[in-house]
Amino acid sequence: MSDVGKVPDQVRPDPLLICSNPPSLRYGATSSEESADLKFVCGENRMSTSILTEHPVQESRRTIWNSQLLVRLSSLLAFVGVMIYFSLAAPLFLSYSNVLNVVQQSAVLGVLAFGMTTVFISGGAHVISGGIDLSAASNMGLSAAIYASIIQAGGTDWIALPVTLLTGLIIGAVNAGAIVGLKIFPLLATLATMNICAGFELVLTQNTVVPAASPLLTAVAATGSFAVPNIVYIFFCLAFFLIILIEATPFGLRLYAVGGFREAAIAAGIRVNRDVSASYLISGVCGSVAAILSLSLLNGSSPGAGEILLSVVLVALLGVIVSRRSVPTISGTLISSLFIGFLVNGFQLTNVSSYWVNGVQGGLILLVVAGSSFSRRAAY
Amino acid sequence: MPLDTATTVSGLAVSGLVKEFDGIRALNGVNLEVAPGTVHGLVGQNGAGKSTLIKILAGIYQPDAGTIRMNGAIHSRLNPPLAEKLGIQFIHQERLLVPTLTVAESLYLGAEPRVGSWINRRSMNEQAVTALQDYFGLAISPNKLIGELSAAQQQTIQITRALLRKTSILVLDEPTATLVKREVDLLFQTLQRLRDDGLTVIYISHYLNEIETLCDRVTVLRNGVDVATVEPRQTPMSAIVSLMIDRNIEDLFQKRSVTLGEPVLEVRELAHRNAFADVSFTIRQGEILGITGLIGSGAKEMVHSLFGLERISKGQVLIDRREVRLSAPSQAVRSRIAYVPEHRREHGVALSFSVRENMTLASLREHSKAGILIERSERRKVAELIAKLSLLAPSQDAPVRQLSGGNQQKVVLGKWLSRESALYILDEPTVGVDIGAKTEIYRLIGELAGQGAAILVLSSDLLELLGLADRILVFFRGKVVRELDASTADHDALLSAVTGVNDQKPDRAQKSTDYADYTDLVGQSRRVG
Repeated sequence: MSDVGKVPDQVRPDPLLICSNPPSLRYGATSSEESADLKFVCGENRMSTSILTEHPVQESRRTIWNSQLLVRLSSLLAFVGVMIYFSLAAPLFLSYSNVLNVVQQSAVLGVLAFGMTTVFISGGAHVISGGIDLSAASNMGLSAAIYASIIQAGGTDWIALPVTLLTGLIIGAVNAGAIVGLKIFPLLATLATMNICAGFELVLTQNTVVPAASPLLTAVAATGSFAVPNIVYIFFCLAFFLIILIEATPFGLRLYAVGGFREAAIAAGIRVNRDVSASYLISGVCGSVAAILSLSLLNGSSPGAGEILLSVVLVALLGVIVSRRSVPTISGTLISSLFIGFLVNGFQLTNVSSYWVNGVQGGLILLVVAGSSFSRRAAY
Repeated sequence: MPLDTATTVSGLAVSGLVKEFDGIRALNGVNLEVAPGTVHGLVGQNGAGKSTLIKILAGIYQPDAGTIRMNGAIHSRLNPPLAEKLGIQFIHQERLLVPTLTVAESLYLGAEPRVGSWINRRSMNEQAVTALQDYFGLAISPNKLIGELSAAQQQTIQITRALLRKTSILVLDEPTATLVKREVDLLFQTLQRLRDDGLTVIYISHYLNEIETLCDRVTVLRNGVDVATVEPRQTPMSAIVSLMIDRNIEDLFQKRSVTLGEPVLEVRELAHRNAFADVSFTIRQGEILGITGLIGSGAKEMVHSLFGLERISKGQVLIDRREVRLSAPSQAVRSRIAYVPEHRREHGVALSFSVRENMTLASLREHSKAGILIERSERRKVAELIAKLSLLAPSQDAPVRQLSGGNQQKVVLGKWLSRESALYILDEPTVGVDIGAKTEIYRLIGELAGQGAAILVLSSDLLELLGLADRILVFFRGKVVRELDASTADHDALLSAVTGVNDQKPDRAQKSTDYADYTDLVGQSRRVG
């Protein structure tokens, strides 16, 4: 309120000082109706002099960010609590080999979730119209089936690897085309490609296990230096690469802008369609990379890869909690995939029926979604 | 920090621009000549065509006729990349910033400083701090999220962002609506400095005193035509206001004799969390009550709260002397309140439904037996309504999409006429409606009142209210500041009340920016597309 002294003609009782803090002051408002409301409420407030310093505007917004902070802190506490509980209940839990085992087991889920996260980033948070890649898991299934079939037919890694990666890329491109070109909601577009992938996989494998052994798969499954499985190295390298790409390059920043407020991104001259397409291509490639990891873990392709889909969505959603801005991040997804891995592993070590895992995962989804939509409601 | 404006001095000349929407001419041959290195004001009432003109410059709309000359080249149309290439930058009314990005990220989004192929965060943050300091004397941490900033700070970021681009013409559309005086002063200083460096500025504002302070020239738009271009420092503001107002509209109204009946709606000390407080009034049968106020005055929220669209924090609402709870529109409808929304395309009609389906949507129960719709009953009722409304539609089964704006509005009215309501709330009933349909709508509102309904009209069109209403409540900063008798009040008195001038003539010598000479009212046409 330091200005008040300087400009006495402005000090008029303002019954509505708070009017410059409209409930409709939302960010990422896309409809013109909303921005008009915003205008309506906060116009004509120039008699209040203190916006820059301490203004009531800030108040409720602070509580919004605080509520998000609360969600974040409590979930981090839950994470730490779970880890402590399991390490007390099962002494093996935090042993070197078990931790590595957990990381290795989490790699497939994590890699798929990286792709999902990228798509979340570029698509925004809207549940219906926002970005999502439902084809992620069945993409992995199909890619794995193709790799295994090529090996079965006598092909080498030099053929199987590029073909598999190309498969993922093509699936990503089909998704991108449907979403950007045909303007189909990602939820529906990727639902369709999910079924296409699952169908092709069945045609290819006749719903059977296709064993695959090849030098590359053996090498991937092998243990590298420091007794760390190579899968763990691959997992972490991919995470590192994506963290750099998404969090340190202009491309990543633009991806966040597109997902955060599409109109603003367009106004900033960003080629929105190209960036959204890129995110689906990344997700597609993540699908085929995950396929190679799962092939080497399972020694072949097996039906039912699609079942992992919901866990992938969960992990990518859960990662949001870790971020200061409450947005999806690759590092957050990395942490949450490890958390789910430790959770499953802890259940196994403490002899809790693995059937509980599903229930806990479902509960977590509810918590995360409720937490984030709660904070979003408050923000409006 | 050196200004990053293009060195080539270029002006802008627009001639004969025409733009039609659904048969209504938003622009009807606009000419605008902006000299290089000047600040050129653009004023006009709602619907005068300012927004349309700006959107044509931005390349969002394509004109039906006319040319735009810039840098010596003549364009018959622009598109957004071309506008950007020509160096035209816009600060639109809506804030276009991503809430989850930081201040620095927002400033440099799309042109990030890099080291190799990644963002040079340190340099970006340093540049952001310098830019904000230089242009606005603002010290905000570059790592703050946009979502954590106040509206004013966000606006500042947006303007700074535009200034950081290679800009030869900067178009500002109501940039100060969310700024406080100190920031407005800084903005003006900055704009004047930039102008002296050769930047051309087009400045749209409803605050005439800002136009006077800042602009070298001002063009007045009215009904899609530029009626005059004057030098604001040499022209009295009252002359500019009278250029903006179209007086002929008063002929549209037929005066009617009013017989007031029982109170229909009584509002007692109604309050909203942050939009309005302490609002009390009564509407009787046969009465037309006008409500108006500036953006932010709370008028709109109050009206919305009567239909359950906004939650009230305190107070009572009585319909026919019985207290009702209005926390949802369905409760309001049950209390026999009808609401004709401003945005008929979004809230009022289902565009793909037929005229008949739209009109009976709110009264399906009356037209059904045992839960099954009786089409014959619907048809009879709708035929009656079409005659009553003089609705021009190919048939009852024609989709509403095919009708003109005025006729769509009549369909919305018809929907509520088909179930007799006690109170009709009309939210900007004639926005985007041509003169002919306006007259019909006014006649209809008069008839409704004549039949004993109570009518509440929220409008930003003061002449409309003076012609139509019996009484007018003026909202200002969340309170009812004046109650005027429409038969004795005149336009100037109403305008003064709306803008908070309180009968005193504004002190011309003071030249401060903290009162509004003339300001956009309740908010029609503020929104874009």
